[in-house]
Amino acid sequence: MQQSFPFVAIVGQEELKLAILLTVIDPSIGGVLVTGHRGTAKSTAVRALAQLLPMTTVVAGCPYNCDAASPAPDCLHCSRKTSNLKAIRRTVPVVDLPLGATEDRVVGSVDIERALIDGVQAFSPGLLAAAHRGFLYIDEVNLLEDHLVDLLLDVAASGVNVVEREGLSIRHPARFVLVGSGNPEEGDLRPQLLDRFGLHARIRTVSDVSQRVEIVKRRLAFETDPVAFCKRYSSAQAKLRGTLVKAIARRPHVEVSNEALLLAARLCDLLAIDGHRGELAITRAALALAAYEGATTAVPEHVKRVAPLALAHRLRKDPLEPAADDERVRRVLAEALA
Amino acid sequence: MDTPRLALLMLALEPRLRGVVFVGPPGSGKSALMHGLADLLPGVHQVVLPLGCDQEALLGGLDLEATLQRGERVIRNGVLGRADGGVLLVEACNLLAEGTANTLLGALEDGELRIERDGLSRRVATRFRLVGSYDPAEGQPRAHLLDRMGLIVRMPSAGTSDARLSIVERHLNPTLRAWQDEIEMLRGVLEVARTSLDAVELTAEQQQELCATAVALGVQGHRADLFACLAARASAALALRDSVQREDLEVAVRLVLLPRATRHPTQESPPSESPPPPQESPEPSATEAQGPSTDSLEMAEEILDAVDTELPAVLETLPFSRSRRSRAGSRGSTEGVRGRHVASVPGTLKGQRIDVIATLRAAAPWQRVRARRQGNLTLRAEDIRIKRYKSKAGALFIFAVDASGSMALNRMRQAKGAVHSLLEQAYVNRDKVALMSFRAQSADLLLPPTSSVELLRRAVDQIPTGGGTPLAATLLLTLEVAEQAKRKGYGNVVLVLLTDGRANIGLRAERAGVDDELQGIAVTVAARGLKTLLIDTQRSFVSHGAGQKLARWLGGEYLYMPSAGSAAIANAARTAVATP
Repeated sequence: MQQSFPFVAIVGQEELKLAILLTVIDPSIGGVLVTGHRGTAKSTAVRALAQLLPMTTVVAGCPYNCDAASPAPDCLHCSRKTSNLKAIRRTVPVVDLPLGATEDRVVGSVDIERALIDGVQAFSPGLLAAAHRGFLYIDEVNLLEDHLVDLLLDVAASGVNVVEREGLSIRHPARFVLVGSGNPEEGDLRPQLLDRFGLHARIRTVSDVSQRVEIVKRRLAFETDPVAFCKRYSSAQAKLRGTLVKAIARRPHVEVSNEALLLAARLCDLLAIDGHRGELAITRAALALAAYEGATTAVPEHVKRVAPLALAHRLRKDPLEPAADDERVRRVLAEALA
Repeated sequence: MDTPRLALLMLALEPRLRGVVFVGPPGSGKSALMHGLADLLPGVHQVVLPLGCDQEALLGGLDLEATLQRGERVIRNGVLGRADGGVLLVEACNLLAEGTANTLLGALEDGELRIERDGLSRRVATRFRLVGSYDPAEGQPRAHLLDRMGLIVRMPSAGTSDARLSIVERHLNPTLRAWQDEIEMLRGVLEVARTSLDAVELTAEQQQELCATAVALGVQGHRADLFACLAARASAALALRDSVQREDLEVAVRLVLLPRATRHPTQESPPSESPPPPQESPEPSATEAQGPSTDSLEMAEEILDAVDTELPAVLETLPFSRSRRSRAGSRGSTEGVRGRHVASVPGTLKGQRIDVIATLRAAAPWQRVRARRQGNLTLRAEDIRIKRYKSKAGALFIFAVDASGSMALNRMRQAKGAVHSLLEQAYVNRDKVALMSFRAQSADLLLPPTSSVELLRRAVDQIPTGGGTPLAATLLLTLEVAEQAKRKGYGNVVLVLLTDGRANIGLRAERAGVDDELQGIAVTVAARGLKTLLIDTQRSFVSHGAGQKLARWLGGEYLYMPSAGSAAIANAARTAVATP
């Protein structure tokens, strides 16, 4: 396992960092999509998310990471031996779904080795099983094969993975948070998949020379000696993790003010956003932000700050509109607050 | 030393530069150079990535024969895994199938691949140096792939006859004495440079200068800044200097930054980007790439002066600049020939490709029941799984919009609307669109073949209008775009021509000969199998019949739609692509 670049050492890109922190605090926001120019630390930042995740309790030996307190009724492992389930602590899993993956590894299939050698028909769980109660990360998500996208959409909607292949008939729980990154210039994301992401952070090339110099310096230092580099940032990283643990604990006790709810509804209305995912995402994100900053109530200011992240990707595409989507959200925001 | 060989040495010295790609026409000595890297690095092996390489060959997988024989899982390494620790050669990297290019760039970036295929889950180390080449006349590689290779070298065009001769000699007789001597000498230089590389000093001011140059040239992302710093130090080490000098900075700019330029530094920000600054500008959007700031220009001035003359040529021929950027290396290519393997279904072997793994999987559960003899597998006809392919490449719609005359902007709006409507469908059909405008003397490609709504939105809105109607030039550009698309597997190309006039500007012909010349080109277009839809938007009822005539020459369809809406145009285009 190679060392990954520390989250706190990423220069600039505040919007991206905020989106990732909010996702860690409240996974139910629906994950985050990061898009932007090539070479702007998209993957670096998303990979760094794994360093910030809290611990969770899972059933020992369960390939589906069941919660020891309440194992999923669908779980093939835990439902068979309800008597004595041993619990262990581990960090929330982040599972990589690489582009060249084949369907059998994503949904799971017959364990071919055991089938050929022992003649046993055993189910070998796939990536969706491993990602249950965790994050599923897809780099270059806009380039993912269509049939895999269909499959993901199905499972993401139902929270259950149904496998009907090679004589197997299996269902197991698969509730995960999608995290993706990509460059829209390489091809667009299917709208249905785009809508699945709670937040969408757009990142741009930093044009400030001194910031760019700093980026190069840190990258060079990291490549030269990753261990020493990470050590240098370990206390800042630990501090951030501490803040996050507190925010996660505080989050269920944070309330949302009426004004904040009104603003969220008003924004979705003005931007003519279909469905209610937008309102849910913006409200949850505002609550998470409030929790992060130690507030007890989410107020319009919180809504305002997360609006571009939660709403911009839900706008209807208009080819004749010259402004970028997040700029449109900011414009409407100014209108709604006026 | 000439630039291409210097680039090779730099990569040999500094693996963190990841790769070098040579850009030039056939016969410019690219191949000979590519093989040179392995010569420079004794003991380092070289692996060739064949163009038609499929995912299985690229990534490796289960070795069935050995697995069955030994009764345990045996894994065969793929091309990328075999290249670990060595040199990977990729010729014509612009023609790689999309899946291949995506996998390759991931491997190059991370030095490691995650493979989740055919029941196997593993990590494979892929630390290699990549040497690539392509001929820009055959289309551009994906900018993503190119961006991950540190050095981009344009081959000197039409080299001196001496240089050409020595390339030929080397090719004919690689053990030529002089060449051997040169290799020996270069290896010696490398060895010395290697010991001093870590100590080469790159001052903070020099770093700043490189970053400022990147900003001034509108380079996207931050990978290039890093490559530039590494390149400057490598260049100094190779010249046996202990600190970076001005000429090293120039080398870095020439090989790393200049090829990635998206604008001329003295120009304003590119017209197609830069949304108007929001009234209330929060932190992140203040960092957005606007025009180059004056202080970055000042910092970069000296370097930019030195390379100034090379810039326009680079902007014209390399893929990063906005005006020429193409979404290349696209879906299709070798995959397009028979499509992409999407599923395995029960079937018979007649003329089909068997999916061995899926077949074994299907048979495996029944082995006990079938009273399997030790070591042998019982297969029955119903176990057979055949591969079902889906042709990946869809159709390419080329929209050519007449920008002469008064209704030009309106026509352009309608065309953009139609293109957008087609792109929404493209999610399903894998179609692509290109957009060009024509007026006065020439036709311009505003949007190279793409399926990105994002790029469409950014494509220029404000096109110059007025002037004559150069239909011949338009058809020629169409042919060029269509030929490139065909090489990438787009069999079905539809030209949608929106015009209200008759051709009055020829390529070479005088006014009287314009029609004949146009007819000649139109017949060629028809002969290449392009489908054409000519939409006549003129409002006067007195038709000159020019539109009908051209449509007839093109073997295409003629539609008179003086107030055509975008939906109607998109529908007509869809109908045209559906007709055989």
